[in-house]
Amino acid sequence: MTLVETIRQVGTATRMLLVESTRALGIVLGFTIIFPIGILFFLNVLVAPAVRTQVVVGTIMMEMALLNVNSLAQTMGQDKQSKIFDLWVSLPVSPVVYTFSNALSMLPFSLASALVTLAVAVYGFGVPLAIGTLPLLVGGLILVWGSTMGVGFLIGAYGRSPRQINSYAQLVGVILTFFAPVFYPVTILPLPLQAVAYVWPLTWGSTFLVGILHGSGSAVLLGGSVLAGFVAFWFILIGLGVRWRQA
Amino acid sequence: MALLGPNGAGKTTLLRQVAGQLVPTSGRIDVAGVDMVRYPLRAKHFLSVIPQECEPRLDLTVEEHVRYFALLKGDRRSIGEEVPRLLADTGLSEHRNKLVRELSGGLRRRVLIAVALSGASTRVLLLDEPTTGVDPEARRSVWRLIDGLRARRIGILLTTHYIEEAEYLADRIVIVNDGHIVAEGTVDEIRNRLPYGGRLEIRGLDHLSPSAADVVADLERRYRVGLRIGNSERLEIPDPFQNGVVSDLSRLTACGVPATLSPVSLEDAYLAMVGGQEANLT
Repeated sequence: MTLVETIRQVGTATRMLLVESTRALGIVLGFTIIFPIGILFFLNVLVAPAVRTQVVVGTIMMEMALLNVNSLAQTMGQDKQSKIFDLWVSLPVSPVVYTFSNALSMLPFSLASALVTLAVAVYGFGVPLAIGTLPLLVGGLILVWGSTMGVGFLIGAYGRSPRQINSYAQLVGVILTFFAPVFYPVTILPLPLQAVAYVWPLTWGSTFLVGILHGSGSAVLLGGSVLAGFVAFWFILIGLGVRWRQA
Repeated sequence: MALLGPNGAGKTTLLRQVAGQLVPTSGRIDVAGVDMVRYPLRAKHFLSVIPQECEPRLDLTVEEHVRYFALLKGDRRSIGEEVPRLLADTGLSEHRNKLVRELSGGLRRRVLIAVALSGASTRVLLLDEPTTGVDPEARRSVWRLIDGLRARRIGILLTTHYIEEAEYLADRIVIVNDGHIVAEGTVDEIRNRLPYGGRLEIRGLDHLSPSAADVVADLERRYRVGLRIGNSERLEIPDPFQNGVVSDLSRLTACGVPATLSPVSLEDAYLAMVGGQEANLT
């Protein structure tokens, strides 16, 4: 299969999934807009202004990551239950097309959610942000999104039922929240936990985004490179067809 | 070709292997000459699948569903003409703008059939219990649709629990049990494997007159009792069209015993093959 054909299939599948999402637009928008603002408000009331930037970064990363992981895993769960997953596997499309399209169809909503959160943070709570860094910031958010795509795929692929998949997704959400230091600097963790934290893509996402907001070029470069590595790793893993066809 | 067999016989496993959903532990599967295990993406261009109890995507319209999946399968240059033709062929034209969730079970199955028929390169169509869960009227309408595909000259492999469905649709029947093929052939070839050609069903055994009881006892001596349930029994007879057999039936009805004579069915052969009565087969 050629790269052009794969890209064409991704485009078709993403359009189809976006059309479906628009049929439940109220729920999707409600979840992606109201939920993050609530979290941000809550955290800013409780959190000292000194670490507010970190909290904002944490919130928008969780929006990018958790929505991606949860929606991808749960979509696979629903697709398996309705047996349409079997139809996908029987089509001449690679697992990358299925996974990437599903993730891509939710990206506009995650991104909108993150940008709304960022706007509220900047204009409502005075978090500093140079407008010139916005493209880099959006790029970083997309990298964070891409770096968690495989997590959702693996949960969806290995879960046996929608209920089990939901439980796994919740568990991973808790792990991502507490072991990836997105709401606090990684340096406050004990050394052994710091080592664990660096296995998670969100730790590097945090490094990347805090680097943008604080104007640290080396942090941006390091975080961005590792995130890109994660994205490449997931593409290879999914492309190899892990759990796509069952043995 | 229809695959018949009891639950757990391996019908769906075989179909899923051919469809590239499961990797076989051994052996080789070629679809239109392409090795499914080694080159799945290439092989899948030649086949279409309707998985068992598959629900189409509910929040798409019928036309969107067929169009998008057809695009994923095939040639986008002909899609403008192909989608209206598929909708017309499957009787979905009038429902094209309805959401799939608004359709009945039978119409949803038609949406999947329309998707399966898309793509000019399709050579094999796999249908896993295509009418399970649909009402009898919708089942017959799906049958007519599948029967109409003969003209397209594509191979169809279907699994079913409905013997009648296999008889209506299939040129060849394969009966599987416990992962093995126990019989293969046309309906007649499989029926002919039974050592008897017909059955005489006698009802009302619990209130026979003395003369009727004598007739029944005489018949039971001459023919094997294949099945006895409640107050009825089924006798296995060599040839239902023989004069002697017809006069046996006349003797029963003259005594007021309700009885029917019929040739063996595919169901008789199937039950003999998967029900542990292989010894009764020739």
